[in-house]
Formats: sequence, C-alpha cells, structure tokens
Amino acid sequence: MIPIEESAYDVLKQYIDSLRRYFANEEGRDEIINDIEGRIAELFGEVLKKGSTCITDEDVNAIIASMGRPEDFDDDEAKVQSQLGGEKKQQQSSYASAGSEYAYTGAPHTRFYRDERNKVVAGVCSGIANYFGIDPLVVRILFVIFAFGFGFGFITYLVLWVAVPSSASTVIGSPKKRLFRDPENKLIAGVCSGLARYFGINVWIPRVLFLIPFISITFRWMHWGDVDFPNFLRFAFSPGSLLLYIILWLVFPEAQSTSDKLEMKGEKVDLNTIKTTIQQDMEGFKERAEHFGKEVGAKAKEFGEQFGNRSKQFGTEAGYVVRRTGSGVGDVLGLIVKIFVYFILGTILFFVVAGLFIAGVALTGLMPNKDFLIGSGWENLFAWGTLILFIWVPVAGIITWIVRRIAKMRSNARTIRFTFVALWLVGLFCFVGLISSLFADFKYRNHAVEQSVAITTPNVKKLEIKGIFPAVDDDNYWFHLQPFASIDGDTAYVRNTAIRLTFSNNDSFQVYIRKFANGPTREKANEEASKISFQFRQKDSSLYINNFVGFTMKDKFRNQLIEITIAIPKNGRIKVDESAAGWGNDEHFDFGRNWDYYSYNEYNDERKYFDFSRGIEYKMSADGTKLERTDGVKDDNENNNDNTQSDNNNVQSDTSVYHYKSNGEKPEKKERPEKAEKPERPSKTKKDTIPAKQAKVEIKTINAIPATFAQRFTI
Amino acid sequence: MYFVPDGRLQKTPVMDIQNTQSQMRKGVLEFCILSIIRQGEVYPSDIVEKMRSANLHTLEGTLYPLLTRLKNAGLLTYRWVESNSGPPRKYFVMTEAGLEFYGELERTWNELADAVKALTAPSQETKTTE
Repeated sequence: MIPIEESAYDVLKQYIDSLRRYFANEEGRDEIINDIEGRIAELFGEVLKKGSTCITDEDVNAIIASMGRPEDFDDDEAKVQSQLGGEKKQQQSSYASAGSEYAYTGAPHTRFYRDERNKVVAGVCSGIANYFGIDPLVVRILFVIFAFGFGFGFITYLVLWVAVPSSASTVIGSPKKRLFRDPENKLIAGVCSGLARYFGINVWIPRVLFLIPFISITFRWMHWGDVDFPNFLRFAFSPGSLLLYIILWLVFPEAQSTSDKLEMKGEKVDLNTIKTTIQQDMEGFKERAEHFGKEVGAKAKEFGEQFGNRSKQFGTEAGYVVRRTGSGVGDVLGLIVKIFVYFILGTILFFVVAGLFIAGVALTGLMPNKDFLIGSGWENLFAWGTLILFIWVPVAGIITWIVRRIAKMRSNARTIRFTFVALWLVGLFCFVGLISSLFADFKYRNHAVEQSVAITTPNVKKLEIKGIFPAVDDDNYWFHLQPFASIDGDTAYVRNTAIRLTFSNNDSFQVYIRKFANGPTREKANEEASKISFQFRQKDSSLYINNFVGFTMKDKFRNQLIEITIAIPKNGRIKVDESAAGWGNDEHFDFGRNWDYYSYNEYNDERKYFDFSRGIEYKMSADGTKLERTDGVKDDNENNNDNTQSDNNNVQSDTSVYHYKSNGEKPEKKERPEKAEKPERPSKTKKDTIPAKQAKVEIKTINAIPATFAQRFTI
Repeated sequence: MYFVPDGRLQKTPVMDIQNTQSQMRKGVLEFCILSIIRQGEVYPSDIVEKMRSANLHTLEGTLYPLLTRLKNAGLLTYRWVESNSGPPRKYFVMTEAGLEFYGELERTWNELADAVKALTAPSQETKTTE
C-alpha cells in the first residue's frame, strides 16, 4: 500500500485513464498498462524512501512528465534535447496549456525545505519563512540578531544549511548537493575539501578555521585592546574544532562512486554526467600512465582493462543511480583506526621535528663556547658540519616537505629530496668525524700522582671543607650551565672535583690531591693535567678549596678532574659542605679512564675510603675503621672499599706545581722504587708529612654558596 | 489538421523539421531497443537509461507498448524478478527469432548507413546513435 494524497490520486487516475484510451486498440493493452503502473509504483517507492510520508501532486506530475503523456508517445523524439533537464522543461512548458499544474510550483509548504530559488546565502531563512508562512525578511532580521547577539546563530545557520534539504530535491532527478568528504583533494581526510565543495568556498577557508586553534589556542582569552572576539569566532578557535573535525570525519562518507562525486559537486547525477566524469578519470589515468613512461602496448592493455572495469562500473551505477548506500559499522571502525594511526604518526613526526629543532637551538646556543672543547682545523670543520648539515638540514627538510604537501607543490620533488638527503649524509659524515676526533682527543688518561697539600690540624681536631667557585656573570648566555659550570670571559670553570675521606694513621689531618686529564697520548694527558691549578686556604678549622677546574679556549676541556683525599685522624671530626666538591650531591664526571691504570691503581690502593653525605658532621672512630655521624642518626653508608689501610702504592710523577707558600720548609722527598708497570717516566716521590706551621695562601675570590641545582638550571 | 509537437492544433500543414527528425528517429528506435536487449537481460527502465545515455531519448510510455509488441511477436521473452524496492520487474531477453530479426535489421541499417554516407558530404554524418 502506498500512501497518496487524494488530489494526487486524482491526477494519477486521470493519467492512467488517458493511457487506457490511448492504448485502446493496442494489442496487449492491459499488459502495457500493468507495466506502466508497475513502473509508477516503483518510482513511488523511491519517493517514499527518500523521506516523504506520502505521494503528493508534485510527485505524481513529475512521474508523469518522466513517463510521458500519450499524445507524446509517437512524437517524443521531437522533444529530444541532449540533457534530461532540457527535455523536461520543454515538456512542462508545453503541458502548461493542458491546464494542469505540477512540478515547479514552488517548494512544498508542508515540509521544511531550504528555498534555493529565494535565497540570499543558502535559502535557510526563506525556507523557515515558507514553513511558517511569514516574510523571509523578518526571518533574516531575526537571524542576524541572534547570530551577533547570542553567538549561536551563525553555527545554527551552518547546521541548517547542511542538514535541511534544498527545495531542488523535491523534483525527481534534479541535481542535489550532498555533503561528502572529497578523497581526491584531501590533506588528511578530505573533510575540509568536502565542506568547501558543498558550500562553494575555497578549500583553504575551512582548513584555516580548523587549524587556527593549534596556532593560537589562547584566542579565547585574549583581547586585542578592547575588541572582544564575537562568539562564533570563539567557537571556531577553540580546540574543540579538532573534535568537530573527527566527528565530521566519522559521520560523512567519502565520495567514492562517480555518482557520489557528482552529488558532492552538486552536478546532476544522470548517466551523461557519470559518463563524463568517468571519462575524465580515465583521461587522468592515461596521462599518469604516460608520465611514468609505460610502453605503448602496456598502456593500451591497461587502458583496455580499465575500460572494461569502468564500463562494468558504469553498468552497475546505471542501475544504482537513485539508490544510496550508507556506510556500515565496519566502515566506521576502519575509520576510527585510520584516525588513530594518523594521529599517532602525526604526533611522532611532530616530536621528531621538535626534538631536532630543540637540539639544533641548544647546540647553536652553545656554539660560541664550542672552542672550549673543539680543536681547530678538522675538528672545527666537523663541528660546523655536524650542526648545520646533520641537525638543521633534517629540520628544514621536514618543514619543507610539510609545506609542499599542504600547498600541493609537486615540482622537483625528486631533486629536492635528493638534495636534502645528500646534505644530511654529508652532515652524518661530519658528525662521525667529529665524534671520532673528539674521542682521539680524550683517548688517554694521565697517570696522576698524589701530591699532598700542607694544612694544619686545628686543635679541636675538626675540619670543615668548603668549596670555592668563581663568581661569574652569565646573563649573556642562553643557557645557565650552573651549577656544574660557568663561563667567565674566556675561561670556563667546571666543578669537576671529587672528595674522598680516609683514615689518617698519624694524629693529624692530611690532604692529598690527584689531578687527572685526558689527551691523545699519555704525554699530552700528563701535560694537560699539569696545567690544572689548585688552590686552597685554611682558616682555623675551615678549609677552603677550589671547587672547579678552569680551562680556556687554548687549553681546552679535557675531562680535567681534581681528586682530593682527606685523611682523618682518629676521633677527628669532619664535615664536608655541599659546596665542597662536584655539584649537587658530589656529582662529578670522570670518563675515559684507562682501565689498565685505573684498575691497577685501585686494586693496589690499600686505603679505606668512607662513604659520606654532605653537610653532616662525622667522627672517625678510634680504631679508624668507622666513620660515624655525630648527630646520632644511623647511616647505612658503610664503607665501600675493602682495602685495609696502609701506605698507598700510587705511582708518582712530578707534574705539577703547588700554589702555596710554605714557610720555607721543604717537604721531604723519599725515593720510591719505580714500578715495572709504569715505565714512561722517571718518577720522584713526594710523600709529605704536614708541617706544623700554618700555610698562608692567597686566594683570588670567595664566592657565595650557589643555590641548588634545580633552581639554577634553566634554558 | 496536423498535430504538431508543441501542442498546438494547426489547420495548415507545416513542414516542421522536428517532425522529420522524429520520423528518422522512430525508424531506428526498434533496432536500437533490440540491440540493447541483445547485449543482455534488461528491464525497461534500464533500456530508457541506456538510450538516454546514448543521447537517444525516449519515453517509457513509448517503450512499454513497443516491448509488448515485440514480445507478442515472439522476438522477446521476459521473466519476472522480485525486487525489494518495489513491485517485481520484467527482465527481457531476446529469442532466437528475435536474433534473426535483429540480424536482418542490422544488415538493413548498414546498407542505409553506407548509402547515406555515400550520398552526403564527408563532413556531414547523420547522427542518430553513437
């Protein structure tokens, strides 16, 4: 049963009767009439499927026009025009004299349509006006007030524009525009392209509207002077636009079949236009095949295959012209997965680019100071090459690729890609060269000899160790390298010192230092180590020591380290300040040791070293085996070294000069037998006992205790 | 009185070009329809669409009587196919007799086409079908 309006039924009945009369003498008249009625029923079914509740006059008249009236059956060819629309028009105009009204009498006023023939923008207001029977102008004025006064009007208008069908859809077979996603013109998912095609605007307008929130998320809170952004702009600029994009992606189908594409563009979907579109696609395919230099034979074969496929598609589409298939659940799931993958890939790419960019900025910021580390000549060249080609080139390359992809610039893609890759490879080569040459510079560690430092033992048998660090003004630099380093003019200072505590077998405090450095050969390493200067000052029970090593652009950074060993007599107390060595909690670095020397040395070191924490006073036990906190807290910092105490067997070599003045008494020198394992230098021993006299030392500056690591470290 | 295509009744005979054109088209209509059916099973709506795509427009009201005639003459048969979007449809196929008939028409058409080609200037071709 097909619901039909009464007046429509009358028209239909009239038509059938006229057919009956026409075919009165025809053999098989009944059959013909039945066929025609069947066809009409089919068409009615389609009308109802499109959403009408029942058949109206307009529907019937349209169908009659499509089927043809009896008087035209023999002469229908006379009405032939190449387009379906033209034919209809002519028929309609000729039927006007027959006295019946049909088709384009106006948008039906029982349903809410957009009135495309009476539109300013999209006929939304006209449609509303038609529905309510009021003047469109009134509706328009109201809309404008709502849009700018309350802000939601603009969005409402857009929603209505898309959702409400146009009045053109009431005529069967007329072009109808549907919102599709455009797969041929897509950047991510064709959402913006589809929107652009539907509204007839440039594709970049929706793209920009969607992208703006990522560039200026703060728009919602920003006021340009006294100008506040109107509400609809605020919506577009909020991060919710990403959510909206995803929703649109999920909801609207991609324009896949040719009829979809035609509908997307708003062109009439009939077999002519379908055929034209397919032809255009085939043309494009042909060009692309040529462009890739295929053989003529292969091209013809492929074209033939395509043609076969396309004609099949053409045939199927011919049957499905009026049918729409919705996307199933599977499609939606696939879409969600695709969105996820795109999102993850996009995020990864973003972080890669951001990371490279930050690295590039950081290293470029350090460039003025690179000469503290980088030698001249090849190393310098490698350093520049690494920075520019290895780090900045990929950043520039990726940004270029993104821009070109957005702007759809396809020209010279291969050359550009090749150039970037080649430059980056050169950069990689520079990077490798830089690393290897730096490695060579640090290859050897010197053999440090322990030298003793003359201090006195205060009567209270307590020593507090504090560190000195030069005052620098590093506001000029992008980075604050403090606390572990700072730069003062042409000298850099690194707090690379370490403190060890051990037991003193006589009744006084003793201090020994060892200086370490690296170099390309052992001699060079020793040389570098000898350049390290160490200063200290004692004031009663406080011992101020240099907590830094300095190096210049001439005497470069070579992993210099000063190791200070403090021997505590029994029952002596000691407190090591946080400022005393290293940075933070005794952090210092010491890479590039040669294992032969180190392991030998440490293995034969029979002293016992105690763990300790900064800022806490400890007391050495009477037998020299335990270092305990005086505040009573039980430390589980027990001793780390198994060595029993004895004189150490360090290899000694005289490589440095002391910066202190003693009161004339020369330290004793004892000869030590030379170890077979250390053949390079003739060694003189220097094992001293601490003179009882005071030592006066001149110190350049005393710095205030710097703040903690976390506070000072900024980029 | 002649019934001229634009709906007016005229008392005087008018040499209407459209009339001649329509006569030309009418002549090949049957042949074209048979060609379409020969290629495969079709139902009337299909035929109308195909003809429209080939730029030879025809009304369904013209088609149905013609198909019925052809079927009654034994050149076509049909079978009913249920469709879920409406009433069942008639799908027409050509019979043996129809094929023979078609062959004859094809020969006639080719002769006609050659004749016309020979008689007209090369640049002018009759365009009735593509």
